[in-house]
Amino acid sequence: MNEIIRVKDLTKKYGEFTAVDGISFEVKNGETFGILGPNGAGKTTTLEMIEGLKSITDGEAILDDKNVKEKAREVKAVIGVQLQASSFFDGLNLKELLDTFASIYGRKVDEMALLKSVNLDDKWKSKVKELSGGQKQRLSIAVGLVNDPKVLFLDEPTTGLDPQARRNMWDLITQIKIQGKTIVITTHYMEEAEVLCDRVAIMDQAKIMVLDTPFNLLRNSGVASTITFRVDNKCPEVHFEKLPGVEKVTNEDHGYRMISNNPEVTLPALFNHETECNFKIFDLQLRQATLEDVFLKLTGRKLRE
Amino acid sequence: MPNTTLTLTKSSIKMFIRNKQSLFFTLFLPVMIMAIFGLIGFDRAQKMDIGLVVGNPSKSTQQFIDNIKQVTAFDINTGDLETEKQALKDDKRAIVMQIPDNLIPDPSSKNPPSKQVITVYKNISQEQQAQAAISIISQFLDKTTLTITKAPALFELKTETINSKNVRYIDFLLPGIIAMAVMQMAVFSVAFVFADYKEKGILKRLLATPLKPFQFVTANVITRLMVAIAQTAILIIMGILIYKTHVYGSYPLVLLISILGGIMFLGLGFIISGIAKTVESVPALANLLVFPMMFLSGIFFPINSMPGWLQSIVQYFPLTHFAHALREVMANGAGFSLIAKDVYWMLGWSIVLIVLANFTFGFEEKRV
Repeated sequence: MNEIIRVKDLTKKYGEFTAVDGISFEVKNGETFGILGPNGAGKTTTLEMIEGLKSITDGEAILDDKNVKEKAREVKAVIGVQLQASSFFDGLNLKELLDTFASIYGRKVDEMALLKSVNLDDKWKSKVKELSGGQKQRLSIAVGLVNDPKVLFLDEPTTGLDPQARRNMWDLITQIKIQGKTIVITTHYMEEAEVLCDRVAIMDQAKIMVLDTPFNLLRNSGVASTITFRVDNKCPEVHFEKLPGVEKVTNEDHGYRMISNNPEVTLPALFNHETECNFKIFDLQLRQATLEDVFLKLTGRKLRE
Repeated sequence: MPNTTLTLTKSSIKMFIRNKQSLFFTLFLPVMIMAIFGLIGFDRAQKMDIGLVVGNPSKSTQQFIDNIKQVTAFDINTGDLETEKQALKDDKRAIVMQIPDNLIPDPSSKNPPSKQVITVYKNISQEQQAQAAISIISQFLDKTTLTITKAPALFELKTETINSKNVRYIDFLLPGIIAMAVMQMAVFSVAFVFADYKEKGILKRLLATPLKPFQFVTANVITRLMVAIAQTAILIIMGILIYKTHVYGSYPLVLLISILGGIMFLGLGFIISGIAKTVESVPALANLLVFPMMFLSGIFFPINSMPGWLQSIVQYFPLTHFAHALREVMANGAGFSLIAKDVYWMLGWSIVLIVLANFTFGFEEKRV
């Protein structure tokens, strides 16, 4: 059983409106799988159907060999969930809260160890309302881990966090990943998907547009990288256009902007030409394509507008 | 997993006790209301204020006046005519009597007694007290006439005292306050807390676990029924210690009625939390139903003091039956058979409210 999640033709309709339109994908055991897309793409709905929180209009989702439609409670027993905006009981401290949630799964947990793993052990006496945004999200992950789940679902875990808190969250998720847990994460931050995910599905308007590793997505998307540099001695543009991988060259101010679909090949050729043509390169910059560019190319729209 | 419900119940009790707002409504408010109404003491016999205007009474007349002063129902003031009439105008006297100096003839006097006139000024705004006072005075005068004329007494009123349960206002009030307190607790604590859970997405989060919603609801219901028992016990103990009330019926029956009342109003609480879109809309919705019941279900004054058409409506209110059943058992020592009708009504209401709650209340957000 290599695939812990198998989703086939999964569809969700609200009346005439189709929120998720027949998507299919698989998640391997131990993998960190990202679903990337703008708001309203259907990411959360997809997640909540797999989690058994929303009814499935059509298609099926199998998790740990259990069909979610038929065995929702059994599925819920082996998953951990962080909802997009979940809150917890105000009247309990963090330790009591974890204990309460553990009892739901018929378990006992070492609350302090769990709190320590999300860096909240010194806050065990606090109430949820006393926590900061980042701390709340970390608590939410701790609650999601209370049943030692086979799959951890994280729905936009860093939305609304400041850059520092986001970095902390990435570290935490990486820690969980190292322990070998399967993680399914949604986000609309491309950078987050590139850092955390083994594979990424890009969703837009209820459909999956592409699904691959971040590396392949960048490589195969045909989105080019940009190389900019300046020179001391002018050199005709046609020289640069002949370099391998180069698609386009423009002369800007005192330098050049080259669009390359393969900078690994273009750059050595450029350095060879430097000696041949007797000029000196300075201020060299390489801006690689990001998933942001991939999305722009696929949909013609920016990810966050 | 019976363990789950148990742990959830423990957590739910902790949360209930830590919630200061619910503690206020549950215990502090009913205790305050009882203290206030207990202090007012509606049933303390009101004295009749009587003004006497006396000049220089003869010995026998003074004797007569002293006799009148013995009457416990009278609160007697003496003064000159002007001040007493002014006091009457200020509504401080029910009647003012001007008593002639020689009202009662001296027994040693040989002269035949002449007719004497007592002028009585009556306060119209205290008609009842004035009438009562006048009739008591008349009796005194009749008796005196008989003594003086030495006529034989033809009739005698022989009264015998039989010990009865002296139902005071506080005895009437206490069961009503208990019913009201249980209602407030059940309706508000459920409606507020569950609307809050729903709004914050806590119910949705619980739905992402294998927990059966039934288990969670059960834990919360058990918690609140325990609170209902505690409320009943605390208010009864307070009544006994401070107001010397008695519970004539059986305690277990009292507690059973409280629990049934709790179940009934928890149903209403769940209905409201299901209807309320936000926590802010809970008080309006809940008070719409709770307030009329509080004042019209015979908590503070008996239903039969209301106009007939109103009685014919309020007799169906759930709180009416709850308060009546408690009162019959506590103040009149009724057994089950005497309150069976109330209990059946409460059972009926419970079923109706719980069925309705099943329609309005759910863990899932109802998407349009």
